[in-house]
Amino acid sequence: MEEAKAVKENPLDIDSSSFSPDVYLDCLLKCATLKQVMDKEAEIVTQSQFLQSEMQTLVYENYNKFISATETVRKMRSDFKIMQEEMNKLSENINKITTFSSQISENLQGSGNNVRRLCGTRQLLDKLQFLFLLPSQLNKAIAEGRYSDAVQDYSHAQRVLQKYGNQPSFQSIQTECSEIIFELKKTLRERLISPNTSATELAESVALLRQLQESDSSLQDIFLSCAESRLDKHLQMLSSIAEHTDILDWVEKCNNTLLADLAIIISCYNEMFEQEAIIPEFADKIMIQIFHLFEEVIKRPENNGTEMLIRGLDKFFRKLQAMTEISSSDMMSSKGTEVVIQCINHKAMVQYQSIQTQFKDSLMKVRQSLASKGSETIDLKDILNSLQVYLMQKIQASLLDLMAFLQNNLSFGLKPWCAKAVADACSKVINETMANLSDLVKKMACLQTSNNNIPFELLLILAKLCLDMQETGVSTLQNHLLKLLEEAAPGLTVDNKDTSSVMVHLSTAAQTALDSEVVFIGQTAAQMLRVSVLARDWLRAPEPRGPRAVCRRVVETLASADGAASQLFPTSIKPSSDSSRRTIWSRAPSSFSPLNRIFSERIEVFSPAGADRAALSNGALKVALKALVECVRLRTFGRHGLQQLQVDVHFLQQRLSCMGNDERLLNALLEDALASAQLRCVDPQLMEPSIVDIICERG
Amino acid sequence: MEDGNSIIYGLEHQTRSLSPQYAESEAIRFLIGTQSLKPNSNQVHVVELEEDTGALHTKVFKHDIGEIWHLRCSPHDAANLVTTHNTYDPNTLQCTMGVSIFKLPTLQVIPKDLDELSSLQGRNAEDLELLVTIKPEKAEEEIRCAEWHPTDAGRLGVVYESSVRVHDVSSGAAVCSMKSDGRTRLKLTAGKWNPHQGHTQFAVLQDMHIKCFDTRTDCSKPSWSIDNAHRQLVRDLDFNPNRQFHLASAGDDAALNIWDYRNGKEPIFNRTDHSHWVWTVRYNSYHEQLLLTGSSDGRGLLYAAASICRDPDDDSEKTGKILEDGVLQSYEQHEDSVYCSEWSTVEPWTFASLSYDARLVISRVPRPFKYKLLL
Repeated sequence: MEEAKAVKENPLDIDSSSFSPDVYLDCLLKCATLKQVMDKEAEIVTQSQFLQSEMQTLVYENYNKFISATETVRKMRSDFKIMQEEMNKLSENINKITTFSSQISENLQGSGNNVRRLCGTRQLLDKLQFLFLLPSQLNKAIAEGRYSDAVQDYSHAQRVLQKYGNQPSFQSIQTECSEIIFELKKTLRERLISPNTSATELAESVALLRQLQESDSSLQDIFLSCAESRLDKHLQMLSSIAEHTDILDWVEKCNNTLLADLAIIISCYNEMFEQEAIIPEFADKIMIQIFHLFEEVIKRPENNGTEMLIRGLDKFFRKLQAMTEISSSDMMSSKGTEVVIQCINHKAMVQYQSIQTQFKDSLMKVRQSLASKGSETIDLKDILNSLQVYLMQKIQASLLDLMAFLQNNLSFGLKPWCAKAVADACSKVINETMANLSDLVKKMACLQTSNNNIPFELLLILAKLCLDMQETGVSTLQNHLLKLLEEAAPGLTVDNKDTSSVMVHLSTAAQTALDSEVVFIGQTAAQMLRVSVLARDWLRAPEPRGPRAVCRRVVETLASADGAASQLFPTSIKPSSDSSRRTIWSRAPSSFSPLNRIFSERIEVFSPAGADRAALSNGALKVALKALVECVRLRTFGRHGLQQLQVDVHFLQQRLSCMGNDERLLNALLEDALASAQLRCVDPQLMEPSIVDIICERG
Repeated sequence: MEDGNSIIYGLEHQTRSLSPQYAESEAIRFLIGTQSLKPNSNQVHVVELEEDTGALHTKVFKHDIGEIWHLRCSPHDAANLVTTHNTYDPNTLQCTMGVSIFKLPTLQVIPKDLDELSSLQGRNAEDLELLVTIKPEKAEEEIRCAEWHPTDAGRLGVVYESSVRVHDVSSGAAVCSMKSDGRTRLKLTAGKWNPHQGHTQFAVLQDMHIKCFDTRTDCSKPSWSIDNAHRQLVRDLDFNPNRQFHLASAGDDAALNIWDYRNGKEPIFNRTDHSHWVWTVRYNSYHEQLLLTGSSDGRGLLYAAASICRDPDDDSEKTGKILEDGVLQSYEQHEDSVYCSEWSTVEPWTFASLSYDARLVISRVPRPFKYKLLL
């Protein structure tokens, strides 16, 4: 710092501002040699001379510049003078223009105002004219029925009138217009309510009213109630004619009146109110009523003709589908499907019911012919066949009839759901008919046991019919149905119906009928034996001269049943029995002992009967002969009584051994009867077998 | 025996009559009458079941008056019994029926000691003390059965083939007689006192019908009846011991029906499980749900009919303590027709059935059913 200061304030530096020539000179003189001083002097002299010349040049240069500047300034001064003059002239001119223009505008102002005023007056006059003409316009439009024009005009004028309505001149117009519009509203409302207006007019009226600022909800209500009353009227008309028109006419009428109107109403409604919340509900309400009515029409007996029913249904369904597009309601389409399915089911029901009644009738005829047959034999196989063929044909015919629902030209004919419904309905026809058959047979079998006079042959026939149906009939019908479905609706997969319950029905019905037949025959014979055994005085009976008459009757009864059964049920091959001729009283009475029974099988008397001739006969034999045993045990026999019974038993054994196939059963029961009689005999002495033989043959 | 094994007792002659000793309250005793046309060969067997050991003890009495068709012990005196019997007179070649009241000389069946046992074994059939014999008015008239009056020890109801008479026990004279009018051709099969209604009603079986007469009048009109109770002959009936309008009937249609006789159109319970005529039906006197039947298919069936024996406020169904309706057990030890079956009047679970081939089978209700009823 000191050093810098020193440098800075070095008085020896010639370029510094603090240079002191004296100090420098002193220093120089002190420090330098002479030579050095001399040199220094020369150096300084040169330097001074150089500086001197340089300064001179600069002064000259500056002087020249000054001179040229002075010249330029002088020139400028003269130029500015000209400019000033020009400018003065311009401003003068401008001033003139300004005065002129203000003069012109002053002149024009008056006429412009006039024109503007005239234009305004003209517009106002136009509007006024419209307003003044409005009432008459409205009247004219209304008179000509152009309600929509009137409403449009009115709504235009409405704003103005509202604005200026308080002025007296307009007030009269407004009141007049209001009156007219009020009248118009009234007419429109009247038209709404009046029954003669068409649905289109109705919709138009509502639209106009809506433009006339009627509140929406009340309008909606009016609209709906009006529409409903109109539709109700249609409904009433339809229901009144449902009684006496056929389905085609009815559907035609329904489509043209009610459904057409409904469609218009729905579409108008959707357009106008642009909300769909309520209309489906309303439409649904109407549709439910229509469907109810339609169901009734379907169920009317004169509409049973399939072709006509289907054509009517087709028309109806087509219209419904069209309606579905208009209405967003899902219910419409689902209900339409439902109606078709219901129609199919109804048809199926009619079919199987008619089959049942017809079958019942034919059964009655068979029953009568059997009851009145007298003694000649009737070919049961024939009756069975005719019944069976009759039943099968009826079912097949009704299946074919149902297939008409699947015709290609029908609007629903090719729909899979329809095919499925038809398939279901057909299976139902088969199953129901079989179930009805089973029930009928069961009922007859039950009636039979309560001593109702149903010929036993009929029971046999019915049992056989049930069995045949179970074995082949049902499957034949199923196959037939599959074939028909394949033809009518190819590609439809029908899930195989479970027929086991029907089969069970049929087989139990057959079993019931067989059991009842066996019991009936057995009881008839048993009753004869019981009465004859209980009524006779066996103690004081005379010597036997032949089998009692009752034995012949018993044999006849059993044989006739056996004969009937042989016509219908296969005869299993009879085991050849050489023992059939063996006489059964060779045993001593003492052999009747518990021990003896241990080795024989227990005999079930009332047991289910098998479906073959021998089993049926066995069943009846058991019932009859077991009764004989039990009745014999309630009596007391004398010697001749016992011998009479011996003859009877022998006779029965001879005659009955050709029935049934269980010789052992027959013999066991007859042995039992004879042994019981021996026990109940006060003087048990049997006759010689040879004598019995002779008596039997003679008798 | 506890495990369902039955005890079997065999006799020499055919049998159709069995009765428990109603007036006895200690020992399980049954009386059997034999049916044989051989003169002086019929007997009354008294069979006692020793409960602890399961052993059977028997005592045999002579019944020389004829073959026994029906036998009934007195509900008033354990020693008394009445038999309906039939005798053949070889001289007149005629059968005569009768009703006799006997008195057992002793009730004792089980020997007190070994001495007595040996003396018993050596001894033949003992004699019964005959008190009175009632003969029918006409010699050839058949008698079906004789029934003690439930409360009046001096009265006996006798069912003849076409009428019912109430006899005085001491004199044997008929006190009153009832005869069905109209279809008198239809013979009577059997009959029974109604244990309810003041013991004045006597029910008889006539062909397919059940008719009940009031013994206080000689009226020919039944006080109530069930027409066509079975589709064929009705063989037996028994009154529900507890419910005064219920009765069970059995018949030739192999069915067991239970009726409320106030409405005799339809049975309230109906089962057909036998495969031949049902000859006997009995209510258990302790448990009305249990019934016993015997049939000529050689079976005895134990039934439960609990559904119709329920009181409205009974909640046993909810707790599952009710027996399912139907056959509880089938007893197949018989080889021939079962004409009689009877519950013991002493022990509620023991019963006996008797078949024509003279086999008595004593059985017990199987334990599971017993527990179900008790617990």
